Amino acid sequence: MKDVLKHAVEAVNQVLLGKPQAVQLAVACILARGHLLIEDLPGLGKTTLSQALARVMGLSYQRIQFTSDLLPGDILGTSVFDRDSGSFVFHPGPIFAELILADEINRATPKSQSALLEAMEEGQVTIDGATRPLPQPFFVIATQNPASQGGTFNLPESQLDRFLMRLTLGYPAPAAEKMLLQGETGRVRLDSLEPVMTRQQLLTLQAMVPRVTATEAVIDYILRLVTRSRESHLCAWGLSPRASLGLLAAARAWAMLEGRAYVIPEDVQAVFPAVVNHRLRASDDPAGHGGGALAQRLLAEVPAI
Amino acid sequence: MSAPHALIPRNALVWLLTAQVVALMPHLPRLPLWVAAVWLVCAGWRIQIQRMRWGYPGILVQTLALAGVVAGVWAAQGSLIGLDSAVMLLLLLFMLKLLEMRKPRDALVVIYLGFFIVATAFLFDQGIPLALFQCFSLLILVAALVGLQQTPGRSDPARAMRTAAVLLLQALPLMLVLFMVFPRLGPLWAVNAPGSQARTGLAESMSPADVADLARSGELAFRASFEGAPPPQPLLYWRAMTLARFDGRNWSRLPLSAGQAHGNWQPEGEPVRYQVIVPPSHQPWVFSLRGAQTVDERLVLNRDFLLQARRPISQTMAYSASSQLDSLLEPAGLEPLQRRLHLQLPEGFDPRARAFAAELRQQYPRDADLVQALLRHFNVEPFHYTLRPPTLGRHSTDEFLFDSRRGFCAHYAGAMTFVLRAAGIPSRVVAGYQGGELNPRGNYVLVHQFDAHAWVEAWLPGQGWVSFDPTFQVAPERIEDGLESALRGEGSFLEDARLAAVRYRNIGWVNNARLLWDDLNYQWQLRVIGYQSERQMDFFRRWLGTADWQRIGMISLGVLVLCMLPLAFWILRPDLRPSAPELKAWRRLNRRLARLQLQAGAGEGPRAWQQRLRQALPRQQAELDAFFDAWVRLRYAGSDQAGRATELARMKHGLKRLIKALPRRRPPRPTRLAGLPDGEQQG
Repeated sequence: MKDVLKHAVEAVNQVLLGKPQAVQLAVACILARGHLLIEDLPGLGKTTLSQALARVMGLSYQRIQFTSDLLPGDILGTSVFDRDSGSFVFHPGPIFAELILADEINRATPKSQSALLEAMEEGQVTIDGATRPLPQPFFVIATQNPASQGGTFNLPESQLDRFLMRLTLGYPAPAAEKMLLQGETGRVRLDSLEPVMTRQQLLTLQAMVPRVTATEAVIDYILRLVTRSRESHLCAWGLSPRASLGLLAAARAWAMLEGRAYVIPEDVQAVFPAVVNHRLRASDDPAGHGGGALAQRLLAEVPAI
Repeated sequence: MSAPHALIPRNALVWLLTAQVVALMPHLPRLPLWVAAVWLVCAGWRIQIQRMRWGYPGILVQTLALAGVVAGVWAAQGSLIGLDSAVMLLLLLFMLKLLEMRKPRDALVVIYLGFFIVATAFLFDQGIPLALFQCFSLLILVAALVGLQQTPGRSDPARAMRTAAVLLLQALPLMLVLFMVFPRLGPLWAVNAPGSQARTGLAESMSPADVADLARSGELAFRASFEGAPPPQPLLYWRAMTLARFDGRNWSRLPLSAGQAHGNWQPEGEPVRYQVIVPPSHQPWVFSLRGAQTVDERLVLNRDFLLQARRPISQTMAYSASSQLDSLLEPAGLEPLQRRLHLQLPEGFDPRARAFAAELRQQYPRDADLVQALLRHFNVEPFHYTLRPPTLGRHSTDEFLFDSRRGFCAHYAGAMTFVLRAAGIPSRVVAGYQGGELNPRGNYVLVHQFDAHAWVEAWLPGQGWVSFDPTFQVAPERIEDGLESALRGEGSFLEDARLAAVRYRNIGWVNNARLLWDDLNYQWQLRVIGYQSERQMDFFRRWLGTADWQRIGMISLGVLVLCMLPLAFWILRPDLRPSAPELKAWRRLNRRLARLQLQAGAGEGPRAWQQRLRQALPRQQAELDAFFDAWVRLRYAGSDQAGRATELARMKHGLKRLIKALPRRRPPRPTRLAGLPDGEQQG
């Protein structure tokens, strides 16, 4: 099973060059059953990463390109009158897949964004008064452009909190970019990607994550971090219990990816920025975009032992 | 139904059963054997309950057991009232309670009862061995208490014991302070004296057989320490009581001698100051030399110039007195009633002795001459000092004086008094102790029961009561060297107590050990048991300059606060709080590394710190890896207990090796604080 994970990470790394840390975080997010938000400028490989992940995991996936005229029905599906049977027949939307790629999610209106909300949290959707379960596993990998870009609607905090992690990719290192320029284009590589695991294997791996040992020492560390975020005057608000749960789950998944059966503080530190950045806001930054500096500060100040 | 966590931990039960055995042990010699059997049954049943083999006893069994126990106490003690019965009943109920413990709270009650039972043992004995043993009992009881608080997963008898020992040691200073300052209250009620019947000692009447019994006992009668050198042994006549009534066979006390002293006496001679410690005798007799005075309020001087306790001595008592040995007692004249009482003789006894007295009277008209002549008679005639006299018939004085002529102090004193009275000289027998053994180690005199003695006081005009000792005329070595040498030829010294250490005084090391042990006991009696209200007040006056309770209370409270404050700071300071061994090791290592100017960042995890140290100390990489691997596993791997133990051992070993391998001084290369992991990527 460990090998499967290693292969998956390697395979994605072949497509997205020079970003091993981001790739491993993305895999950890999926193992911890969390939804992933990838945010960065256009053209940095967000979509490539999400598509590579979907292919490698061997899941059925649907891609939804969010635009400003996207309607909730376009995501969830609609009931269409069938003339032959004389009744309405439900045509499921793209959300009924195991992995959803919500591309440029902040280009859609808040109304359409919220259509994802119930699906992400509850694992079910309600259409025309009928509640329909979504397949298992169910993931959303969303990408978005930074808020400062034109034609975007900010995701509200409530929706941001639903994502376990938010990753930023950043510009590739020169060496990686050189390789990119010299080699085949990412699209071609992506097409040649083969799934390295089955759906069943992924479910088994996910079930193993909660069994990774987290001793009291680690849990106390997480509590110290969370408490400090709530008490610090630098943060506009503190981290929610959902954030601390997510932190623990992500740290466990990270420990598993590191090939360990127990969590150490370094695991928590590795996932901490990705898990909390989008949930924190500096108190002197009312516009509020990202708490990257805050996360680093918490990590440096809070005793790890 | 009680929740599973509310069961009594096995660990606590083990300690509790041990504690019961230990608490019962001091009482066992006083109890019938079936009490031990009751404990075995209760403990066995309890164990079966714990193993879920048997159930708790029903109400019927409980009632029957209670009735049986009460009946048993009745049968053994003859009564349900009294200290012995009460303690026995308490002990039995203590055992039966084992079968009623369902929840930890019940076990708590049993443990508290155990503390009480530990205390009851001191009602019977207050010696050093018992005190030491009861400290041990306390330790076991506290361990049971600790075991009760341990969660089932972490129960460890050895750890409970360690915790208990630490707790008791921590309580020690508090105990000492309380011992010094806690008010000594007088007894609120009188306890019926335990074992009063069993103890040897002087009785209110004296028959020769009683004195012979005493002479066979090596038990301690009392101890006395003198200011300065003790007077020579022949002067140590410890007066306990006067016996003035004779019924033809026994000499006994006059009830009237219990009156108060009067002024009819003249102190003479250098005062001798001494302190006496009397073990509980449950009688009011205390011991003093002639011409005694005291300021002790618990004592009175009675009309025969004897010190006497106001109430029976139920616990070890220490008192100080001073005596002027040449004092004249009632020199100015004897009241008619007293004269008559001290001339009393029963009619129809001992005609030959009366005739002998009349003969002496004719020969010596002066009283003093007559007394001297009588003493000479004892000296010249073939009297023999022995503890094995022949039995005497109805006219015991006659038979002793003229036929057998064998006996010991009681015979001589009784016969002399009889003759003096028959000759018209007021006289009485004095019972007490003569001599004693000087313990050079503690500079005090040890008086044993076999030092019991009887002598004569006769009233002579102008001189008052004068002491005469006919035994001295017969066996002067008894007075000068003690009973042992007087009986050397006979071998009857302590013949019933062959194991008594006193018997082997002539073996050097036995004697040394005996005297050392006695000195220890003496100091214990004097300083611990004897630390009662008077000595406490002395202590306060000397060290605190006051004996006012209010001020003492304030001072002791202040001392207590001063003692507790640092303790509180120590406990509340988080970095000094006792913690897991891995954290202790972590702190120790970091303190050591600080000397090399290496310091872990606050948010630095163990592996990051390890990497930084590997760079800073390239020569110690192997030791660093060994320690950090073990440490991380110990703290984060969450192994089971056995795994933890091996990891702990490995971690400790690794720490030792690492600290040994570290350089003494700062390594040549300065180090820089490495960035946190994945900081760059996520910024």
